[in-house]
Amino acid sequence: MLKIAHLSKSFDSIKAVDDISLEVKEGEIFGLLGPNGAGKTTTISMIASLLRPDTGKIYIDSLDIETDLKKIKKMMGVVPQEMAFYEELSAKENLIFWGKLQGVVRKTLEERIRFYLEKTGLLGRENDPLKKYSGGMKRRINLIIGLIHQPKLLLLDEPTIGIDVQTRLNIYEIIKEASSQGTTILYTTHNLQEAEELCHRIGIMDQGKILAEGTLTELIKIVGEKDIALISGNFSAETGRKILSSLKETTVISLEDGKIILSLDASKKIPLLLQDFFREGISIDDVSIKQPNLESVFLKLTGKELRE
Amino acid sequence: MKNLLLLARKDFIRKWRNPIVIIGFTLIPIVFAFIFGLIFGPSQEKTLPRISVLAVDEDQSFFSEFFLSSFKQGELNKIIDLKKVDKEQGLKLMNKGKASALLIIPQKFGEKIWEGQPVEISLLKNPSEQFLPQIVEEICDISSLLFSSLFSVFSDELGTIKKFIDEGNFPDRQISSLSVQIKRRIESISKYVFPPIISLKQKTIKEEEEESPLSVQAYILPAIAVMFLLFICNVVFEDILREKKMGTLLRMTVSPLKISDFIWSKTLISAIIGILCTLILIALGRIIFSIHWGNPVLLFFIVICLNFMIAGFISFLYTFIRTEQQAGAVLSSVFIVMSLLGGSMVPAESFPPFILNISKLTLNYWGIQAFRKATTDAPFREIFPILLGMILAGIFFSTVGSYFLNKSLKKGLLK
Repeated sequence: MLKIAHLSKSFDSIKAVDDISLEVKEGEIFGLLGPNGAGKTTTISMIASLLRPDTGKIYIDSLDIETDLKKIKKMMGVVPQEMAFYEELSAKENLIFWGKLQGVVRKTLEERIRFYLEKTGLLGRENDPLKKYSGGMKRRINLIIGLIHQPKLLLLDEPTIGIDVQTRLNIYEIIKEASSQGTTILYTTHNLQEAEELCHRIGIMDQGKILAEGTLTELIKIVGEKDIALISGNFSAETGRKILSSLKETTVISLEDGKIILSLDASKKIPLLLQDFFREGISIDDVSIKQPNLESVFLKLTGKELRE
Repeated sequence: MKNLLLLARKDFIRKWRNPIVIIGFTLIPIVFAFIFGLIFGPSQEKTLPRISVLAVDEDQSFFSEFFLSSFKQGELNKIIDLKKVDKEQGLKLMNKGKASALLIIPQKFGEKIWEGQPVEISLLKNPSEQFLPQIVEEICDISSLLFSSLFSVFSDELGTIKKFIDEGNFPDRQISSLSVQIKRRIESISKYVFPPIISLKQKTIKEEEEESPLSVQAYILPAIAVMFLLFICNVVFEDILREKKMGTLLRMTVSPLKISDFIWSKTLISAIIGILCTLILIALGRIIFSIHWGNPVLLFFIVICLNFMIAGFISFLYTFIRTEQQAGAVLSSVFIVMSLLGGSMVPAESFPPFILNISKLTLNYWGIQAFRKATTDAPFREIFPILLGMILAGIFFSTVGSYFLNKSLKKGLLK
């Protein structure tokens, strides 16, 4: 459904997206996971035809975005980070407006509005102006606007920022349902839990590159059976390197003053490692061990933690 | 077209539900017209204040009394407040600025008149007053002239009377002969004097406020209205930047909608809201200030053309604007300068020729001219060129504005 080949985009000297390629199948939820500034929004903006790529190609339903944009626009929906609607208008008026703009006929529109409002628990509030809605309710309307014309491809740019758990689960439910009905979804997030829970496949993105992609299981295989350990204390990078040199079957992911990230069998290797540190008279502040999961994958691939 | 109307309808509902700014901008011209009307309009009291005149009669004769009594005759008595004083008191009061003029009738005034010799009277004017002493001077001139004429006509009879008085002898026969002579003299001059060839008919001109097409408000309201229409139309166009910020424009860009439809919808709704506000102003002008607006059909065309021109012009201006801050600072300055040059604040007719030529390059000038011609019931052939100019300017500005705004929006959608 969505195919991206060697896509790049620079802003002056900053390379926002650096030669990325990926493929998303019909009905699949693909999560682009990465910290702020990773290039997720730039990628989604190029797919939405808001930005012209410097190099590379984008195909949606086998149509080239450069030559068939008019057709592509009809099959695409977008949910931006901003609350992109009119607060003076009611939920119903907003949905009618955006639906008509997408060419949905009035009768179908009325049915869909009712369906989605019911699904999101907003039925009964449809005539209230949106300025009277809570943040979570507004997020739900923002999502419905993107879905009202039942697009083949839905681009969601961090649609769950700053909302409560209940609303988040409600949004997940709607997205999953849309996916089960055949809508392909490209979902950007920097929330690991969200990506794990929602996405069929995940692409880990940092500094404009996709570092790895696959299902959660496939990604965890990258780390293997090993744990990820994060050790922090009062030591220099030089001392850390000296101590680690004697340790076998351990991969150094990141090493800097006061902080080491390692891939290892934690139960066996950590006690040995700590002994070496204490022998050198170095105090250790914290040791955290992560079982193989998306977070450990992210840590291994990027050398940094992903925080909300 | 369908999308254009859909967008325009959406914007109209939004403005309808949040009308405070537009209502404010619509009512300001009414408030301005009201205040300017109070300042520059005709006042209720139109009579002159009474002129205080001090008189020093050093002669105390029949003739001096006769001369002074001329100031108390008929209408003059209503405007002149004559007060007799001695010379010292009179000068003191004049020094204090308590009177407009001091009239001094010298000694032997009457005696010299009897003898047919020239006499002089003195008039001291209060230098701190501009017009009132001038009026007193004019009255003195006229009274002196009348006095001189009277003594010239009756010089023989007066000579005879003086002879009787000097001798202290009043013979009956000569008295009756003198009476007949005076009667004949009066009869002979009567045919030249009565009825007077020139008569002064007094009439107080009451300003017909209800019908006058050029009342102060009829002059001011359209001028200020044109200025505030710029601000009203701008309120709609500011939405372009707001929609960019809100993400709704981005969402529209991803939809099948053309950006040019979005821009034209702003021009359309801006013109429609401008038209409605102008019609409200016209109605309020009629109700509150009884302004005569001329032919309603013609007026309606003026309103449409003017607002189309303004909306187009603002869309053109927005091709240079990138942020809301720029819109606030730059456009307000442009509107104020244009209004000043265009005659919204000061009548363009009072400008020197060079500035007047610049004034003709502003929207305000042509808008005001169109309204002025309508309020003075100018023929259609005089208004038509202005309407045509407005339409052409509107087409030019909105087309160029739409083209460049389309380009700049597409370019700058991603923050």
